[in-house]
Amino acid sequence: MSTVQFLMDGFATAFQWHNLLFAFAGVVIGTAVGVLPGIGPMSGVALLIPVTATLTSGLPAEAAAASSIILLAGVYYGAMYGGSTTSILLNTPGESSSVVTTLDGYQMAKQGRAGAALSIAAIGSFIAGIVALIGLVLLAQPLSNIALEFGPAEYFSLMLLGLAAVSGLAGNSMTKALIMTIAGLLLATIGIDAVSGIARFTYDIPVLFSGIEFLTIAVGLFALGEVFKTILEKDEEDENIAKINRIFPTKQDLKDSTPPIIRGSLLGFFIGVLPGAGATLASFFSYITEKKVSKNPEKFGKGAIEGVAAPESANNAASGGAMIPLLTLGIPGSGTTAILMGALIMYNVQPGPLLFEENPDVAWGLIASMFIGNLMLLVLNMPLVRVFAKIIQTPKKYLLPIIVAISVFGVYAVQFATFDLYLLIGCGLLGYLLSKNDYPVAPLVLALVLGPMIENNMRRALTISNGEFSIFLTSPLSLVFLIAAAAWLLVPLLLKLKGRQVIINEED
Amino acid sequence: MKLPFDYIAGLAFLLIGLFFTVESRKISESAYGSAVGPDIFPFVLGLLLLIFSLRLLYETFKKRGAAVKRGNYHYKKFFIILISAILYVSLLETIGYILSTFLFLLVAFQTMERRGIVKSILVSAAFSFGVYLLFVELLGGVLPRLPLF
Repeated sequence: MSTVQFLMDGFATAFQWHNLLFAFAGVVIGTAVGVLPGIGPMSGVALLIPVTATLTSGLPAEAAAASSIILLAGVYYGAMYGGSTTSILLNTPGESSSVVTTLDGYQMAKQGRAGAALSIAAIGSFIAGIVALIGLVLLAQPLSNIALEFGPAEYFSLMLLGLAAVSGLAGNSMTKALIMTIAGLLLATIGIDAVSGIARFTYDIPVLFSGIEFLTIAVGLFALGEVFKTILEKDEEDENIAKINRIFPTKQDLKDSTPPIIRGSLLGFFIGVLPGAGATLASFFSYITEKKVSKNPEKFGKGAIEGVAAPESANNAASGGAMIPLLTLGIPGSGTTAILMGALIMYNVQPGPLLFEENPDVAWGLIASMFIGNLMLLVLNMPLVRVFAKIIQTPKKYLLPIIVAISVFGVYAVQFATFDLYLLIGCGLLGYLLSKNDYPVAPLVLALVLGPMIENNMRRALTISNGEFSIFLTSPLSLVFLIAAAAWLLVPLLLKLKGRQVIINEED
Repeated sequence: MKLPFDYIAGLAFLLIGLFFTVESRKISESAYGSAVGPDIFPFVLGLLLLIFSLRLLYETFKKRGAAVKRGNYHYKKFFIILISAILYVSLLETIGYILSTFLFLLVAFQTMERRGIVKSILVSAAFSFGVYLLFVELLGGVLPRLPLF
């Protein structure tokens, strides 16, 4: 069957009424998550996994997986739309990927052009989303065909590359990022070993036999960690929200922002495809690019619409691009895609090249739903932007305790064990302490998800080669991956030694 | 003087690394039919963690004397909510979902801001009953019931 045929089947899945509902719920919640400072896409997606798991419990396994991934992905890209709202209206980014939007967005709002800034952000996000999706559709089949040729040695090296990329770019200290990665890999070894059936590090404690649940760790580290941080550090403050006058941009605005949107979309897409470099980096780069390309760069920082259009397109394109390595290779390139991958694995759906053959409903249904979801977001974000702006005023008093309660409910509903609830609170504390002290938590979650796969592929490769470790070097592809992985770690280190500033990726 | 967090973290990771390295030696070495057993992977990782935590300690040692930023922290609020969360979790299965959730939310709301007790009661009740009814009645899930006295 051709790609077009698959895509049409995907639309058939996506247009089922409950999937439309799931996509809609996903993008609405995503926008809300984006608007609310304090909950990022990672904690939003992690919090919703157990909720979707219970909502889809009546459906057959594959349909349930398709529906929940449609919702969860909706939260992810919806958050990219919503993130711009607070940046523009409050000068407080809702997500790290919207930090650069504050530079010009808030200035525009101060000049009474908040509506134009918001709508350009929405239009840019929409175009970028569609560009990224077209890229995804075109690349999905060829990439997964290549990936089908991979043996265990190639997979092992490719996953190492993924981990190296995320660790190399996360946080200020690479030592800390690597420590977190290794800690995640070690956590993943707890439980019964899938290959030999031997219990490792369980000490006859029954709850440990099935291993440490990724969901508990992710919700604890991200959602609870954020809540604890906000309770401890945020002071009550009166926030001035800029008024929105007219929503639609003028012709001149549209003309000014078309090239930046296109550049931002393409740049964001390619940065998103690379593992490790997420939406934050994409928005940052596209802002710098626009400033370089612009005829009058002094305009930037004083309310240039290009400075809103480009980064907002780029972060959305990057979130679409990040789906490519996840779906075709089974390798998440960022914290949020790692959580999406964990969700798929919970449904016994293994992302990777076989996904398109074994679960075409899930893969193509998701892609088709993203077209629909982006359209919904455009409609939601243009006329309803005032409604979403109201969400900013949700009092923290109610929001924070309710996030704790949802976390507890979600983890308990999936795990049925108080052990996981204690672990949840413990992870919340650790998450707060670690990220406060510059220990990035995203690599840990990524390593926890990838850990068992890395180990199994390593052991399979070594079994094939009779224990010769040289198999990773003699296979040319594997060697290339390993060299790239080493370069990803060494190049920033060398640059730092030479005293250069290295751009790092914030968690997203 | 307060110890910087990096020291404690470095030492903790060092111990974790040591633990995994030593303990992985006790796992049987090979499984039938495969050349590498379940012990290699955690052993190597444990070693790596040892090396990197030593490096972290060294880096921290070199940077000693860096000023520690102090901000305005709401310790009281935080600890009340943390302790009530722990109590919530430990009582969940004994006093049931609705009651424990209601109590936790009420305490947490009032800790965040002391005003508006009526609204706090209403929101906590709506959340705990709402989630329970939706999940248990509508979706057929299982949550700890209210015990029958």
